[in-house]
This record gives sequence, structure tokens and C-alpha cells, in this order.
Amino acid sequence: MSRQPPLVIDNGTGYTKMGFAGNSEPSFVFPTVIATHQSASSGSSNASAGSGARAPPPIAGKPSHLASKRGIEDLDFFIGDEAVANSKTYSLHYPIRHGQIENWDHMERFWEQCIFKYLRAEPEDHYVLLTEPPLNPPENRENTAEIMFESFNVQGLYIAVQAVLALAASWTSSKVNERTLTGVVIDSGDGVTHTIPVAEGYVIGSSIKHIPIAGRDITYFVQQLLRDRGETAQIPPEDQLRVAEKIKEDYTYVCQDIVKEFKKYDADPYKYFARFAGEHSVTGRKYDLDVGYERFLAPEIFFNPEIYSSDFLTPLPEVVDTVIQTSPIDVRRGLYKNIVLSGGSTMFKDFGKRLQRDVKAIVDGRIAGSEERSGSHLKSSGVEVNVISHKRQRYAVWYGGSLMASTPEFYNVSHSRVDYEEYGPSLVRRFSVFGSAV
Amino acid sequence: MIILESHSVIINDVLTDRFEKPSRADIQFVDYDNVRFHLSTPSSKTQLLLSMGIQCWPDLVKYGAREHLQDEYQDYLLPQDQTEQEYDVSLIIDLEKLPESGEDRLALISRISHLKSTAMSSPFLSAFSEQSTLQANYKEPAGAQQADIVQPENKGELKIVRYREEEAIYIQATNDRVTVIFSTVFKEETDKVFGRVFLQEFVDARKLNALQNAPQVRYSNREPPLEIRHLPGLKNGEDWGYVTFVLSPRHFSNPTQAQANINRIQLFRDYLHYHIKCSKAYMHSRMRHRVAEFLKILNRAKPEVAATEKKTATGRTFRTR
Repeated sequence: MSRQPPLVIDNGTGYTKMGFAGNSEPSFVFPTVIATHQSASSGSSNASAGSGARAPPPIAGKPSHLASKRGIEDLDFFIGDEAVANSKTYSLHYPIRHGQIENWDHMERFWEQCIFKYLRAEPEDHYVLLTEPPLNPPENRENTAEIMFESFNVQGLYIAVQAVLALAASWTSSKVNERTLTGVVIDSGDGVTHTIPVAEGYVIGSSIKHIPIAGRDITYFVQQLLRDRGETAQIPPEDQLRVAEKIKEDYTYVCQDIVKEFKKYDADPYKYFARFAGEHSVTGRKYDLDVGYERFLAPEIFFNPEIYSSDFLTPLPEVVDTVIQTSPIDVRRGLYKNIVLSGGSTMFKDFGKRLQRDVKAIVDGRIAGSEERSGSHLKSSGVEVNVISHKRQRYAVWYGGSLMASTPEFYNVSHSRVDYEEYGPSLVRRFSVFGSAV
Repeated sequence: MIILESHSVIINDVLTDRFEKPSRADIQFVDYDNVRFHLSTPSSKTQLLLSMGIQCWPDLVKYGAREHLQDEYQDYLLPQDQTEQEYDVSLIIDLEKLPESGEDRLALISRISHLKSTAMSSPFLSAFSEQSTLQANYKEPAGAQQADIVQPENKGELKIVRYREEEAIYIQATNDRVTVIFSTVFKEETDKVFGRVFLQEFVDARKLNALQNAPQVRYSNREPPLEIRHLPGLKNGEDWGYVTFVLSPRHFSNPTQAQANINRIQLFRDYLHYHIKCSKAYMHSRMRHRVAEFLKILNRAKPEVAATEKKTATGRTFRTR
């Protein structure tokens, strides 16, 4: 009998992506949220008092009959979209914060339903690939391994770093001709953007930089621009954010020169202004509005953050350059050569092109400067800068996981059940990279 | 979620999506009990091909699975020789010839997402019909015979469905009941204990007044029950458990009820293992809570560090910043 495909589960702060290895898209994408029957107050006190003051798990009452003594309170919960739909009667909890698992009770139950209700797989028959953020403490990996091996009896487990999987996903791009695990990953989701340098499959932790601008900020920015122009008068207030998000997803693109773009729009507004048609979600009243400069201004906040925020002012290309410059000198060429995009907020049209141009400009400027200072004695052969964008960018991490888990190599590098029984949870502290899979 | 759902969520989601807006697909996924699915669009966007590979297919065919699927899916089912390679059953859905009304579409989606349970239900259905013929024939010669000894002619064929590598379902019809026996193996020591406690609950639950009508359930570990003891190759070891359900005609007399019961009973093994895992998760959360409580006590017990003033020889104090 053929082997069952491994399960690939990517639990992110916002969304959980899961499916089976070998597919090109995750089968399920839903919010990482669990709705339990605990009162909301105990949940919120959790957050403030830290992990020590956790509300006790529910215990059933004690009727006299033996069979009815055990309660089923611990099975009464929903996850994902169903949780959001039931948020009126249940209280919502987000077990993952800033990429790391905060509440293990909730996470264990979350996985329980992920596997049994959605994937419908008997975990005893499958290998599992999970993801972790860079700089995840080893204790968290151990906890994860404990849950996977002891609660779910999985056959084997591999915990991969998200950035490395994103690199692997970029191999599908036609621009990539050698499969390397060295590169800079720009991972931009809803909450925060990370710039992570990876050398030979290992994350260079000291050089990671975070940018507090991501998808949600772009949406707010679009909303703000619409409001400034007075377009929001027609949109019902409760729909404003949704409309802004829709405009962001459907109409925006990255321009190469912001001044020229403004001139172009002013010269021929009818050609460039788009119309957005919406419908009131309750009354069904139709409305439409102009989509103007926000088409190219929205993603511009990555490159000129001063137009949106007043406390974070470093443009993305500069951050990328700093990240590479703080990495060890012998990998810098490799890092410049392979800048990979991942996550939904890097999907803007021409985002990669613009980033490549700007990084290239910084690098070339530096080279020209040093050539001049050497008195034109030394000539540089130049540095290759490559920004890679590809089709699977939105779920790049999951796709990379699916790709990795479908290679035969996967079974050699992942931790098997036998190993776990031999060494215990500390097994997962050992970090193995897909070496020869490359 | 107490009872596992009998339909595949992936098929349901993908079909709902594709019925609205056809697009290319190539998805491989699984279901319980070593069932593999492959959903693809081999020729054009509007031709959805759904193939299922099921481990116990040879067993199922013996008990009329092919005919049952033919009844259920009619034109959607591809003939044997056109079935996709490496799979056992293929359905083809032409998105241009879908039923018009939304309700019919929903019904179709739900029917297709039950593909696995429909295929698995054929041995049960044939056992049920066997039971009714046996019952009909039984009445005539019954007369003075002793009721408690089941005569060989009153017993139906013992149907064996090897639904997993080592585990099987045994189904036998007799004149007044249908017996379903599951064999299951526990891979881990703790699972065995949880499994035993859990299965004991089934036996106890029948003592409740509200559950008097539930089928009789017996559980034995180590030794296989008498009905199947004569079979060769049965394992009896510490890790093995046998669960017997006795279904009486009232459990399957009406077709919808029969189908609901079949859907539930065929997922019994997964249901059992799911609940073992849930119990473990529950235990773990209690343990974590306990550890947090103990840590609090330990922290309280820490001796307080007396803040003594440290002085140098000349009598000056250190300033801490």
C-alpha cells in the first residue's frame, strides 16, 4: 500500500493554512481562532495576568449516575470560520500571538479539530509538517512535539522554519535556476512584515528586522485616503473597512515613479480613475465611488513610509539592505541574489520590480562610492540583485511545506515516532535542514 | 464536536466553489481508513473527475458496492474500465449539466461528499436485506425448535471488510439481528487504558433509561468474541480490542434511519480513536493547570532575600543602578 501523504499545517497568527503534501494550494485557510464556552471575562484576564492565571478547564457536575458523570464540555468548541460565526454565544480566543503559541490548551484542541474534522485523517497514519516562526524558543518546539506525539500519536513530525519554506517555494519561479536555501525572505502578512536572512537553511537570527507596516496598515491607509477625498460619504460606516480592503486587493499596483504617476493621473483622470461598485449589505442600496491616487499610493507606504506613519520612517529597500549588510560577509552575495517575497501583502503588481530597482540603486551607489574612494584603482565586478516573485506567493510558506513534504527526503529528516520514544521531546531541539533535497 | 461527520469537508468545499465558478483543480487528499481521493480536471475546466481509492475495495465489491454506487450516482459514475488508474471508483461531474435549482445542487454536493460512506455502506445494506429474508424464512419452520440455538441455515454469510491494514469489520446477519464486530489495535499503552474506560462507558450507558433502545454493545479485549473465533488469522494479544454491536431490526427498518446508523457505525473506529485523543488532550489541559497551581505554591515558598546593605571597608555603600 502506498504511503499516506503527510499533513502540512501552517499555523500563523492570523490564519491557519492546512492541507496535504503534494497539492499546490492549502485545502483550508481559516482564522486561527477557537471559540470555547468559557466566559469571556476569564479569557481576557488570561491575557492581562499572563500564563500563570489561567482559568481552570471546565469540569462536569457530579450527577449520581456513573455514565453521566463525565461531561463533554471540553468537546464543545468551534474553530476557524465557524468560531467566528458562533462568536455571539461563545467566547473567542486566539491561541497564537506574534507567531508563537501562547495557550497550549487551546492549541491542542484547535489541532484536534483541524485533523479530525477538517482534514479527516487518522494522525496515526501520517507524518506531520508544522511551521514555526524564526527565533521560536526550543521549549515551544518541545511542547509541540509532546502534543503531536503523545496526544495524536503521529508517525513522524517535522517542524520547519517558515522563512526556509518560503525560500523553497520560490523554486517554482522561472527566474530561479539553482535551488538554494540562501536568501532574504520578505514575509508580509496582515499584522507585521519580517525581513529574514537565511543562509544554507539556517536563519541568521541577529539580523532579522521587523517592519510595523503590513496589510492591515495598507487597508487603513486606503480608507484614510478615501475619507480625505470625501468618497466615504456613500459607504455605510460598517462596510468602510471591507470596501477599503476590496479596493486594496483589486485595484492597487506599485508605480515606478510617484511624481510621473501623479502627472499621468492628472492629465487623463478618466483613463486611470477606476469605479468601484458596491452594495449596502443590509438595505441592498447600490453605490459606487471613484478609486483614484490610492491605486498606486497604497503600496507606496512600503517605499515611502512617511506618507502614512510618523514613527517608522525607514523604507523597505533600506531595511533589506541593512539586513544583508549586518549578515556575515561571505553570504551577502547570496543574499542579494535571492530576495524572496512571501505573504499576501507582497502580491501587488510590480512590487518585486520596484524593490529590485531600489535595492540595486543602494548597492550600486555604495560600490561607486568605494571605487571612488580607492582612487579608481579597484574596479568592482558588481553585485547581482534579484527579487523573486512567483505565483504561489500568497501561501508561499504552506506551498514550500507541501513541496518539501512530498520529497522522499522528508521521511529521512523528520523525527520519527521511534526516535521520539528513544530520546523524548528534547529530540526536536536538534535541527535538521533539507540538505540534499536541494 | 462529539460525533465525526460522515461527509468529506474538502469535497464539499471544493464542489461548492467550483459549481459557482469552474476552474482548474488537481487536489489529492485522504479520508479515514486509508481512503485516498483525487479531484482533478483532466480535460477541461468543466469536467470534474473525482476518484477514490479505498483499501477494502475488493471486499466491498464482493458485497455489491459497485451496484450500490451505480444506484446512488447513476450517470456520474464512470464504468469500471474508465476508472482512473490506481483508484477504484471515479465519478465525473460535468459542470455545464448541473441541476438548475440551488436546492438540487446542494443535494448533489452532499451526495457526492458522502462518496466514501456510500461505498462503505454496501456490506451493511446487504446484511440488512439478508436479515429480512432470513427472518421471513425463519417463521415457517420455527415451530418447536429451541430458540436459543441458532441453526446454521438461519445464519447469513459472515462478511469481512478489512478496512485497515490489520483491522477489520465483521458483519453477520441472523434471523433476528445483525451483529457488527470491530477489531481494533491500540498502538500505545495509554491508549489501551483510555480505550477500555471509554468502551466500558458504552456498556454502562445502556443502563440509563433514555438509552434503552440503543443497540447492545459488548467489549472484549485480548480474546475475539465467539461469533468470529473460528476464523483463522485472528490476533489476540494485549493490544487488541473487539467491539460488538448487536443491531436489531428496529435499528434499520426505515431506510433513512438505516443510512444514519450505517454512517455512524462505519466511523466507529475513528470515533473511538478521536475520543481517546480528546480525552488525552483534556487530561493534558488539567495537568497544565495543576502544574501552574503548584508553581504558584512553590513561588510562595521561596525564602525572601533579605536586602542587606553592602559596604566597603571604608564604610561607603555600593550604589546600584
